[in-house]
Amino acid sequence: MNGERPDLVTPEAARAREALRALAPPRPDPAFRERLKRDFVAGHIGERRTLVLPIPGRRRLAWRLALAPAALVLLAVAAWLANRGPGWSVMTTRGEGSAIVDGAPVPLASREQLGRRLRPGARLTVPAGAEVELASISGLVVQVTAGTEFTLPATPGRWLQRRVTGAVRHGEVRVTTGHAFAGALLRLDTPEAAVEVTGTTLAVICEPTGTCVCVYDGVVRVGPRGSGMVGVPNGRRRFVFNDGRPPESAEIRPMENTKLARFRDSRREWLEGAAR
Amino acid sequence: MPDRFVQEGTAPPRSGAPPDMEMVAELERVRQRDPEALAAFFELYFDRVYGLVYRLLGDRVQAEDMAQEVFLKVHRAADRIDPMRDPIPWLMTIAHNACRDLWRSNAWKLTRRSASLDGDSPLAETLTPGTNDPERDLIASERERLVQEALQRLSEPLRVAIVMHDYQGLGHDEIAAITGINHAAVRKRYSRALAALGRLLKDSLA
Repeated sequence: MNGERPDLVTPEAARAREALRALAPPRPDPAFRERLKRDFVAGHIGERRTLVLPIPGRRRLAWRLALAPAALVLLAVAAWLANRGPGWSVMTTRGEGSAIVDGAPVPLASREQLGRRLRPGARLTVPAGAEVELASISGLVVQVTAGTEFTLPATPGRWLQRRVTGAVRHGEVRVTTGHAFAGALLRLDTPEAAVEVTGTTLAVICEPTGTCVCVYDGVVRVGPRGSGMVGVPNGRRRFVFNDGRPPESAEIRPMENTKLARFRDSRREWLEGAAR
Repeated sequence: MPDRFVQEGTAPPRSGAPPDMEMVAELERVRQRDPEALAAFFELYFDRVYGLVYRLLGDRVQAEDMAQEVFLKVHRAADRIDPMRDPIPWLMTIAHNACRDLWRSNAWKLTRRSASLDGDSPLAETLTPGTNDPERDLIASERERLVQEALQRLSEPLRVAIVMHDYQGLGHDEIAAITGINHAAVRKRYSRALAALGRLLKDSLA
């Protein structure tokens, strides 16, 4: 199409062209024209008056470069917060008196106060005749029985840091896990043994001659600390001696089997809820 | 200084025309930023620059700001003027580039988004030179408003093509040199702009 050939220009386009050509020159404010001329001649002409100039590319880049580390830090903090698993909560307490948390007594009757003190790494001692059950919605319930000294593990992260470690100095803890725990690993250290839990119900009992691990369901890996571990299936127990004798395996103790069954059944519903 | 040079509205030499030796001498003085030569240069070319940026931007305040920016750039680059050549394409290039930069800026987009249409009606009255016939002035003013509004509805490349060709009287080859695109593309843009302007003004100019 040729804009200058009359035969190809429509009548309305021709009228528009004539109207455009006939436009009178726009007249600026005379004061502005005079001022601009004066400034132009004197070489004092300034930048545009009213338009806000955009940030030049290099400055914008500098800002972006300066803000990038801060954004990365914020992103990392957000990711860390999002990944962090929910903390421990006190599910039940039984008995009277006070538990000792990191050397300080906390009344068993005050679950709220106890829950605030029980952070990962806290050392919990449960008094005689009492019992504390801790739960995490990452699919883990730990029953800490009377006379036990237990160092709380962290709760598993949502995506990262799914391997956590706690310790039993003396006494007995029972552990049961739910579907939400899948893919995580809890390691429990006793003075002479190491226990790795990936999805099971078990008891870790510290006795004067060593550590007994009773497995109610699933498979648990057990071994002397710093040595090879073996899988212990459900219905079996393994004893790791503290005098250097090789570990022994046997049937689960009937009494412990009953206690674990009761513990497991009482928390099954809650654990399945946690999984949802 | 030659009278022709200082007389407002005098047509500058066209590109390709043999250089006028008096004009060459004047431009040489502009190159050296001689105040008298700068004043004459301003008188000769200001209206042309202002007319272009006003038609491209469609707003008096923006046009004044843009004219100021163009003359700032001219002053800074005065030593690069080629006295042997017509300065019009050089000026038009500076004005076009400045408008293009403005159109690309976020500031312009924000301004356009919040622009009020109320300000242009009284403006049209001040832009059209008056005559002794109020009715004729009114019709001319209304026609100018319609054409200006239609121009603003064209895309910026089309607006540049038609304003430079039909309002500024530049040839397609000159526009191609100013805008940095090839001759065929300029012709195409002009044709599209003219057809679009015709459609936009079809009812109002009938």
